[in-house]
Amino acid sequence: MLSRSFVRGLRANMGLASQARTLSSTTAALKSTYDSPDFSHYLNKSKGTNDKSRVYTYFMVGSYGLVSAAAAKSTVEAFLTTMSASADVLAMAKVEVKLNAIPEGKNVVVKWQGKPVFIRHRTQAEIAEANEVDISSLRDPQKDSDRVKNPEWLIMLGICTHLGCVPIGESGDFGGWFCPCHGSHYDISGRIRKGPAPLNLEIPEYEFSDESTLVVG
Amino acid sequence: MYSAIFNTFFKRNAAFVGTVFAGTFVFQAYFDAAVTKWYENRNKGKLWKDVKLQLQAGDDEDEDDE
Repeated sequence: MLSRSFVRGLRANMGLASQARTLSSTTAALKSTYDSPDFSHYLNKSKGTNDKSRVYTYFMVGSYGLVSAAAAKSTVEAFLTTMSASADVLAMAKVEVKLNAIPEGKNVVVKWQGKPVFIRHRTQAEIAEANEVDISSLRDPQKDSDRVKNPEWLIMLGICTHLGCVPIGESGDFGGWFCPCHGSHYDISGRIRKGPAPLNLEIPEYEFSDESTLVVG
Repeated sequence: MYSAIFNTFFKRNAAFVGTVFAGTFVFQAYFDAAVTKWYENRNKGKLWKDVKLQLQAGDDEDEDDE
């Protein structure tokens, strides 16, 4: 009983004490009593302001920061450039084909990034045949004009969209390509017409760098 | 003049740090150019671009590299 009231009283006292401490300013207690001497007699009065020395100091600090930042930047750049493609990889990424060596109505297969690329120089009759097809009847509806840049030249990846075999040219029921693995028939525009393949033959990135040069990649 | 510089570049931390970072890009470009120029000047005649010219000139006259 006694002890409990004593504890309560103590607690109240402590609460009060801490309250009092937060309210009171300790600066007075911490304030130094040391009397700093007056140096004004010794200061250089001819300078007027101290801006010159401040500018010099900050300039030196800033220059140090600038050089450090440049060093850090080049270090980061050196590591980042190791991630970019090297010259031999870039050289392999594109393939150049001379088109005037390919007569009309002939297929050429070139290797690009380890994959076969079919190039067909189509005849006018074949272009007309490719355009005649009713788009709505196709499994993967695509116009012939969406698949070629120049209708005379059909360029596509020679990989069957079913399981990745290489189709055979100038065969199949539609006068285009035929995949011997599971019997997919592609037409003269490389569109799937019959068999298990779900999509048309893929068109790679390509451009005609001049009249007779094709660059794939 | 000094107070003008101080007030423009050093008074505010944002201006100070901004100047340092912007200066880095300018500094790096000039530093790279200067180092490249010094290096190419020091190694004149040994660089591929010089050797290439020599080889092309040599090809026309005599082909003695067998």
